[in-house]
Amino acid sequence: MPDNNRILELYKEQYEKPVMNDKTVFEMKQRMKQGKEEKRSMKKQKVYKGCAIAAAVALAIMILPNTSKALASVMGDIPILGEFFKVITFRDYKYEDERNVADVVVPEVTIADNVDNIVAEEGKKTAEQINAEIRDITDKWVEEFKSIMEDEGYHNITIDYEVIATTEDYFTLKLICFKALGSGYEEHHFYTIDLKTGKKVELADLFKEGSDYKQIISENIKEQMREQMAADDAIRYWVDNTDFPEWNFKEITDDTSFYVNQNGEIVICFNEGEVGPAALGTVEFIIPKDVVADIIINE
Amino acid sequence: MFPRGKKRDTNEEIIEQIILKKYNSYYRMAMSYVHNEADAADIVQEGAYKAIKSSDSLKHVEYAETWIYRIMMNEIYRRLDTKKIVSIDDEVSAELQIEDTYENIDLKRALDSMSAGEKAVIQLKYFEGLKLEEIAYVLGENLSTVKSRLYRGLKKLRCEMDNYVMKGDEHNAG
Repeated sequence: MPDNNRILELYKEQYEKPVMNDKTVFEMKQRMKQGKEEKRSMKKQKVYKGCAIAAAVALAIMILPNTSKALASVMGDIPILGEFFKVITFRDYKYEDERNVADVVVPEVTIADNVDNIVAEEGKKTAEQINAEIRDITDKWVEEFKSIMEDEGYHNITIDYEVIATTEDYFTLKLICFKALGSGYEEHHFYTIDLKTGKKVELADLFKEGSDYKQIISENIKEQMREQMAADDAIRYWVDNTDFPEWNFKEITDDTSFYVNQNGEIVICFNEGEVGPAALGTVEFIIPKDVVADIIINE
Repeated sequence: MFPRGKKRDTNEEIIEQIILKKYNSYYRMAMSYVHNEADAADIVQEGAYKAIKSSDSLKHVEYAETWIYRIMMNEIYRRLDTKKIVSIDDEVSAELQIEDTYENIDLKRALDSMSAGEKAVIQLKYFEGLKLEEIAYVLGENLSTVKSRLYRGLKKLRCEMDNYVMKGDEHNAG
């Protein structure tokens, strides 16, 4: 249909013009969140129907964390987390006017009061440290939001959390910070706690002493980057870039985020702009078990 | 590819990822019907909400993309039903002058002569790259209906554009 090509091109050109703005995209994400919450509460109603005691228990727990994502994970994982650790919503900050929306949920790691042993003791310290870090981050974000509210345009921030990747040994609290101030930006912070010791886990703790885990993991990440780039033209990482070699991802550091997923695999996480163009967003690499088999500490 | 979690969680995750990747596609589709930013954004938001909320009902996750399109198309049609089409058209002409800076009003007229269904088929096929079978699923029609709409739509586009050329010539002459 050669005749139609020109027409279709004109049509297409016009068709493709509209794009959603930050504000409506943000609202869409909020609606999606709402959908998740409603879906989960529907599911729970089904599970607990006809069982008064269980329902009462569920309600009691529901009062604690009020985001459903965290709630769902926490509820599912109570046998593990519940020994000492709980993640609750510590503070909410909500603000909305015509141009500014802030929806900030600050999580806090807490320890059951009546537990008295070394792990709980250690856990308390860990929780305090993590909570302080989270408060610093969230305070900073809220301050920034307040300081630019009067400026022109739309400003949105959302902070939320998730309890992810719970294995028998670890749980990870993921703090999700999103802002749309002109353009969107998202960053994640991960805090992993060893349930057996109550201590915060650093990446180095997972490996045998003296092992070159940084290099081994970094090489694997670079391999994965190359594979992804070869498979999809739209994906670009800063690796093997000869024009700007100084941008290239070299090696993970002590500050690089990670968690351990349900399969026991280490997942390395990067924030926007760390290993590729910001448009790539936050990225995660699952490190296959066999890559680190020789250096990981086996429980 | 998605090793963790139960099937249902995976469904939700996949649907979420698709929406976050493709929301502008849904938005364009909606804009082509409602011609109004607020309504179009509302359609996408509502569709995204419904898709997430009912993500468990998707049986075959490999059809997630077309499944979401289907939800979005239903949202669009629902909106067209509730609002009188005539009044939407009034809004269009008012808004066109602000939004469209170049003169494609004749293309616009060609599009308006197409039925909603014909437009959907053409847009899904040529601009969103869906297969005819997928379009049939998205629109809840059988394949032969989709095919005949495609041909009718293309024919109308071409006819109207021929008129466009002729009118342009008249202008030049006068």
